[in-house]
Amino acid sequence: MSRIIITGMGLISAIGDSVETNRDSLHNELTGISHIQFYKTAYAGKLPTAEVRHTTEELNRKIFQPESSSITRTSLLGLHAAAEAIRDSGLTLEQLSSKDTALVGATTVGGMCLTDELYHDAKAKEGGTPYLTSYDYASVTLAIQERYRMTGEVSTINTACSSSANAIIYGARLIRHGFAKRAIVGGAESLAKFTINGFNALNILSSRPCAPFDKNRSGLNLGEGAGFLVLEKEEDLQGRKSYAAFTGFGNKNDAYHPSSNSPEGTGPYMSMKAALENSGLKSSDISYINAHGTATENNDETESRAMLRLFEKVPPFSSTKSYTGHTLGAAGAIEAIYSILNLAHQEIYASLSFNDPIPETGLIPVQHYNKQPIEHVMSNSFGFGGNCSTLIFSKT
Amino acid sequence: METTDLKKQLKEQIIHFLNLTTVKPEDIKDDEPLFGEGLGLDSIDSIELIVLLSREYGINIQDPKEGRKILTDINTMVSYIEKNRTK
Amino acid sequence: MAYFHRSICISPQVSFPEADLSRLRESKNNLLEVTEPDYPGIPPGVKRRMGKSVRMAVGAALPLLEDYPAPEGMIIATANGGMEDCLKFLNQILEYNEGLLTPGNFVQSTSNAAAAQIALVTKNHSYNITHVHRGLAFENALMDTIMLLKENPSSGYLLGCTDEISAYNYNIDRLAGWFRDKPVLNRDLFLSPAKGTIAGEGAFMVWMDNKRSGASAEIHAVKTLHSMDPTVVEEGMKQFISENVPAGENPDLLMTGENGDERMNPFLESIESCFPASMPIARFKHLCGEYCTASSFACWLSMQIFQTGKIPTLLVKKNPTDSPVEKIIIYNNYRELQHSFILMSAIDG
Repeated sequence: MSRIIITGMGLISAIGDSVETNRDSLHNELTGISHIQFYKTAYAGKLPTAEVRHTTEELNRKIFQPESSSITRTSLLGLHAAAEAIRDSGLTLEQLSSKDTALVGATTVGGMCLTDELYHDAKAKEGGTPYLTSYDYASVTLAIQERYRMTGEVSTINTACSSSANAIIYGARLIRHGFAKRAIVGGAESLAKFTINGFNALNILSSRPCAPFDKNRSGLNLGEGAGFLVLEKEEDLQGRKSYAAFTGFGNKNDAYHPSSNSPEGTGPYMSMKAALENSGLKSSDISYINAHGTATENNDETESRAMLRLFEKVPPFSSTKSYTGHTLGAAGAIEAIYSILNLAHQEIYASLSFNDPIPETGLIPVQHYNKQPIEHVMSNSFGFGGNCSTLIFSKT
Repeated sequence: METTDLKKQLKEQIIHFLNLTTVKPEDIKDDEPLFGEGLGLDSIDSIELIVLLSREYGINIQDPKEGRKILTDINTMVSYIEKNRTK
Repeated sequence: MAYFHRSICISPQVSFPEADLSRLRESKNNLLEVTEPDYPGIPPGVKRRMGKSVRMAVGAALPLLEDYPAPEGMIIATANGGMEDCLKFLNQILEYNEGLLTPGNFVQSTSNAAAAQIALVTKNHSYNITHVHRGLAFENALMDTIMLLKENPSSGYLLGCTDEISAYNYNIDRLAGWFRDKPVLNRDLFLSPAKGTIAGEGAFMVWMDNKRSGASAEIHAVKTLHSMDPTVVEEGMKQFISENVPAGENPDLLMTGENGDERMNPFLESIESCFPASMPIARFKHLCGEYCTASSFACWLSMQIFQTGKIPTLLVKKNPTDSPVEKIIIYNNYRELQHSFILMSAIDG
């Protein structure tokens, strides 16, 4: 069966409005974590976040959405990234709107970034804001479906922080089973009082820029952004460029606690192991890992234990959340794109803010950008509810 | 408020706050561990109890690890409340 | 080959533990609500945190998993599961001005809470996913499971869905014009079509594998499409039939998601026109109400029809029949844009 190839990518995050500008920031070790500029919350100035550097009105103009539309910031970010991926892939509008092009989106906030409007509409006796039909998760995917008049299979996935990793897996499988010839897959997320307050209530937000895998890490920083990829079969390339092959995946459940991993990192271990088995690779074939690395006490220690258990020698690894913050539903796709950049440019990225290893595990992430031979990259996304997913990409 | 009354009130508040619908105040022993065995509460509950202490008694516990020590059982909670309540 | 085996359906009608489709339970205030059973299988320590949609899902899954203890995947669909908890958390955010908040509602409000809880209670580490694509969430989950069965032919899977009526969600949808503004009873839903329908809720769990022996139904195909054009939907149905129904073996029954909202009529007419005028037609939303994963209730009803050999009178729209029903084609429509076709057949002998 023909390999699944990535032929287009699109990205917007706190470190850039495009794949290229994101890569520049990663290359130059420039973080996007700082204080909130645009979003109105009591935590602006108190909790570092990685906000996309545009107001919602600017995003609206950039993507040429009519001003009066009821599209939320999350959807705008998704549209922005999807548009870049589509342009990048060279797909025609006819191909996009054909029955054999699938679309799989992901988000955990959806239109609920509009807290005040949601609250109003939930209680109003009459009237309502223009966003009445834009709160749910599907609205983010449907904004893309509508814009490109897509008529193939469409789905939206929400498995917390592993959502867009699962969207990539589902899209690839739709192609493998003949339900689609190609798939646009990814996720979008914007800052929301809902997630800021939710994670804060769980005491896992840090009041400092996050320090993944560091002994003194004190929690995560939320981020926003969107990433979309175009997946196609290798035999359909017709001379167009290919970035990398999507060669393996794993999806397993930790089944321990609603919002933290088991101490041994069972779910993360099983997810990585399943991805290796699915790809036919050995653990020693993995050149580099883009870790989930949220910088919470629980994730980094358990992910480390899982890596130590699976790999005789843990390969170089970093957490790019030290640049983008934790982009929740978009993280899987954004970090998949970074993993593909590792392969396309034969380089690895620094894990910022690291000083001392976790004493119990002793693992040290990559500390400086550097170029080196990369054959296979593993990308981890571990969400609430024990939803653990792992993706493997390989050099073409 | 008498210590015995405070214990009873606290048990009722815990049951209500954590939605322990199958538990009655008399079922909770004063020296029974709240976490792990005993009542079997978990990390989410420990955060919720810290919020309870703030909302009902005006006690603000900044460090969740400190909080877990206070939340060992009813006796330790009541003793802490009596010393630190501002409401 | 993909087969449904035992299933559990928690619905506004009498469907669990036993099914009784001889009488229609009435709606109240334009709502068809589930009267929840006891759920003895859910540990109290876990149940206390659950919102209704998660409780229904876990309550339906656990008894099923006693018969099938080792699923190699849990594929769940929900579109507004957890909305009640979500809005409770929102209330806290606003009431306490983003101050000190309790995280319980936040953790329970995540869409994957149902799938996560089922895995947690049964200590199941296998493939676990939640599809949330509005009116096609269940169809996507079904398609996902069909693909899993092709990938792993000797495995079995838990497929299911859940959605709840939450007061807040209902209000938002009411303001958007999706529900009737005047009181209407479910039994009168189709008498005078108007704008809007009535709300429903429910959960459905089923074991799926490749074994024909002991199965309740075979799932032949599922297809979804997005369109506001009835002609496109009609074309879609015709293509679905030509790809999946051998010539001369027409389905015995068309079951539609007609819901009394007159905006659906052009789509219904187009779909009904794909079949002979004598085709028996049934509808189901006056039993379960309208919700994103309601097509699962149609699947459950189909399994009841295969089992009893009869189409309950309550369901019949046109051309009642006593002839054996071997093949059912389900057409569902969610808020004009989303359409699905599912083809199921009975197991002979």
